Amino acid sequence: MSMIRKTAALAGLALVLGACAKGPEKTPAELEVLKAVGEQFTRRRNMPPPVQLTRALLDKQSQAYIEVTIENRDAKAYLTRALTRRDSSPGTIEVWRTQDNVSLALRSGMVIATRGLGGGLLSAQVPAADGAAGPARGGARRYTVRAKGNGQARLSMACSLQDLGSEPVEIVEVTHPARHLQERCEGAGGVVVNDYWIDSRPGRNQVWQSRQWAGPETGYVRIRQLRL
Amino acid sequence: MTPIKTLVCRAAPAALLCLAAGPGLALGPEITRAGHGAAPGTEDAAPRLKPLPPPSLNFYGSPGIIDTPSSEMLPDGQYAVTYSWFGGTSRYNITVQALPWLSASFRYNGIQDLGLFGFDTYYDRGFDVRARLWRERGWLPEVTMGLQDFAGTGVYAAEYFVATKRFEGAALGWGKTPGRLKLSAGLGWGRLGSSGAIGNIGGVRPTFVGGSTGGELATDQWFRGDFAPFGGFEWQPDERWSLKAEYSTDAYVTETQVSNVFERKSSVNYGVEYQYSDRLRLGAYYLYGSEIGFNAQIQLNPNNPPTPMAVPAPHPIIPRTQWATEASHWDQGWVASETKKRQFRDLAAETLKADGLVLEAITLTGTTAELRYRNPRYRSAAQAAGRAARALAQALPPSVETFRLVPVRRGLGLAVLEVRRSDLEALEFDADASDALSAAAGVRDAGPLPDDAIFSGELYPAFATSVSPFTKPAYFDPAQPFRLDAGLDFAASYAPAPGWRIAGTIRQRLAGNVKNGRASNSVLPHVRTDQREYAQFGTTLENLYASRLWKPGRNLYARATAGLFESMYGGVSGELLWKPVNSRIGLGVEGNYVVQRDFDQRFGFRDYRIFTGHASAYAELGKGYLMQVDAGRYLAGDYGGTFSLNREFNNGFLIGAFFTLTNVSSEDFGEGSFDKGFRFRIPVDWLLGKPSRSGFGLTIRPTQRDGGQRVAVPDRLYGSVREAHRKSLEEQRARFWE
Repeated sequence: MSMIRKTAALAGLALVLGACAKGPEKTPAELEVLKAVGEQFTRRRNMPPPVQLTRALLDKQSQAYIEVTIENRDAKAYLTRALTRRDSSPGTIEVWRTQDNVSLALRSGMVIATRGLGGGLLSAQVPAADGAAGPARGGARRYTVRAKGNGQARLSMACSLQDLGSEPVEIVEVTHPARHLQERCEGAGGVVVNDYWIDSRPGRNQVWQSRQWAGPETGYVRIRQLRL
Repeated sequence: MTPIKTLVCRAAPAALLCLAAGPGLALGPEITRAGHGAAPGTEDAAPRLKPLPPPSLNFYGSPGIIDTPSSEMLPDGQYAVTYSWFGGTSRYNITVQALPWLSASFRYNGIQDLGLFGFDTYYDRGFDVRARLWRERGWLPEVTMGLQDFAGTGVYAAEYFVATKRFEGAALGWGKTPGRLKLSAGLGWGRLGSSGAIGNIGGVRPTFVGGSTGGELATDQWFRGDFAPFGGFEWQPDERWSLKAEYSTDAYVTETQVSNVFERKSSVNYGVEYQYSDRLRLGAYYLYGSEIGFNAQIQLNPNNPPTPMAVPAPHPIIPRTQWATEASHWDQGWVASETKKRQFRDLAAETLKADGLVLEAITLTGTTAELRYRNPRYRSAAQAAGRAARALAQALPPSVETFRLVPVRRGLGLAVLEVRRSDLEALEFDADASDALSAAAGVRDAGPLPDDAIFSGELYPAFATSVSPFTKPAYFDPAQPFRLDAGLDFAASYAPAPGWRIAGTIRQRLAGNVKNGRASNSVLPHVRTDQREYAQFGTTLENLYASRLWKPGRNLYARATAGLFESMYGGVSGELLWKPVNSRIGLGVEGNYVVQRDFDQRFGFRDYRIFTGHASAYAELGKGYLMQVDAGRYLAGDYGGTFSLNREFNNGFLIGAFFTLTNVSSEDFGEGSFDKGFRFRIPVDWLLGKPSRSGFGLTIRPTQRDGGQRVAVPDRLYGSVREAHRKSLEEQRARFWE
């Protein structure tokens, strides 16, 4: 018995010490699994401590920041703006990105894509209009999500939009005057409710805070505009 | 009708089944209903793609009660592994739901102390197949026909029709109970008609003969002899627990009357099961009035990976209108300068490297770029193409408008995906980004490498080395069903020029017991059955060969290999494949002159040499079904053909089966009568949730014999060529932007 155990221990040691690959070829499968297991251990050890947010800290930053919380995994991250652009559809597109390569694309403050999360939102059709932040109307909405491995599924929903009135939001020691818009969408076998808190001052097209659905895998995300 | 049913309906024999099948889910198979009564705005109320909980399994690994079947089908593509044990009987079952209405099982079973047919513990293997005749609808129950252990020695041979009806607790007026009741009843022949028979068809049923050759379909037995009614119920008070009871009509004649494995005192079995996790279910039972039993069930679905794959987010494409704002930025003067072109090549190579891709060569004109790249990271060719396109959009001067992306494997250009840079800029955030780009892109034959291509400065000559663990299993020896060798592979390769490759692997076994296996009793030349002899040596040269891959013409791919191909054979090999990029059909020929290697697997050879070769036809049938037919001469000099059908899921998960019929008689072939088996591939990216091209493949034959065997030559063409062609790119288009 001890003989077998010794051999097994020796074999295990040889695997850990010996396994490696160099050069422009595909890595063997066994090696990739060993590496992934190893990474799991190191990642657990290297968890960074949570940041204590204050307005003073935010004022020191030079970039714009949003805070995104994924409700179903209790994960929170701070994202910087990677790109602002427009295309042939209405609404300004903003791409926000974390340091560990997760990104979120918004059109007029509405989530249209997630990347790097696993089972993400591939693309979305949202009721955006130029000169308005958040949803401009009710009607059709379409989510294209990752499904079946490398495939996609299309979820078509019909939405109604409701203005719930003035509701100022406080984001890290600053209170913004805001209106609360609620979008309720039905279809594809479910109901989705998206909430937006939009700056109520004229000419300011800004979603300060929102809670939006980003596909079946990611679920609901909460977004706060920390710094413009 | 759902598409899969339409597909099936094309086959005439299935027409009856299709008429019987009810209308499909209006939502499409992947969307399941949200939970009842969940508050709007919660995740439970939102649309979801998670499959519904699958039915529980019986001791034979199929949906059922305890020792009897029910009519339920598993979700499409489901893959279930079960181990059950009672009264000295153990069964390992693998069940695959091949089609929504058809499942197949493979079983390895052992009966302790049976003391018959000259074995202490009697081990046997068997196949089951089940087909649903119609779905549950209104008051009509679901009905399924099953053939259990339908080929071969048939120790568990039985046939049945079974009906199952499901009731929600609330609907039965049991107050607010969320429970569910399943009632099953059926009529069984063979084993399932051996106790409590109520009638007989066709007189005496031919009996089971232990230790015979097996492998033939037992058509003369099906639905013959006595038949008996069986039935049972499953009550699920909540999502985790279930209580089961059944009336079994299996008399266990061989175990209790012919031999004395256990005592059968009752026909009624009871049990309780617990869903431990999404994938694991455990059960404990009291069977036949005398025995305690256990069952462990693991269910996986290829469409539902343990971790969804997360790929580091790409950098968004920055439209040229944002950074090339002056007319001079669009100037094409840089084309005249070799230095500038090299700078752009280096910039592109650097950007590709960040995404795990390798630049092989780039050809630049003022307005077009042809990029040849290797993809060692992403399983999906569409995803690799997407990353390559982004890299070019980031690295190349604004005047370059057309990108021709050519994935290259071993120097062989597989296809061209042609995209316009303005489409990339316009469509990235489109509501239908994947479909729109797929419609705007063109797929064509790769064509020859342009003369003015600038090669990478880092490749050619290129060295690669790896040290990695290996395992080599041997199955189904009656003395010990599973043996394994494990150790380290030291591999190295050298690519002197595009398409050329010299590679070798030294294998060091660290532990293993394959060397204690069975000696061959084959009357054919021992082309595969000397596995034990080959396993006697711990340090071996697994392979050492030189190969060249090239494109001899339009839609044609060629390979030539010489050296030691695998542990048992070396020689020379040539292959030619015709596969148009836009076609679902491919044709190939392969010829090999091989010599059997010495058992010590160094440079020596044995005195057995043969010419073996095949003509092959490949077809992509849709829904991931891949068919291959090979005809030719096999290693033992036998002539015949192989038919294989694989189902490859969109994520690389593969399940398949094959059989080979040759001019070797079933007596000469030995146990199993002809060569057959099944295969799996579990992709590493599916397991780990991060990109990888590797997978764990496994081919299992119920018996390894010498008839119908082929040599394993490295770098066969079809698999890698097909991956880069239109059908695969279209099916994976959703990966392009990710």
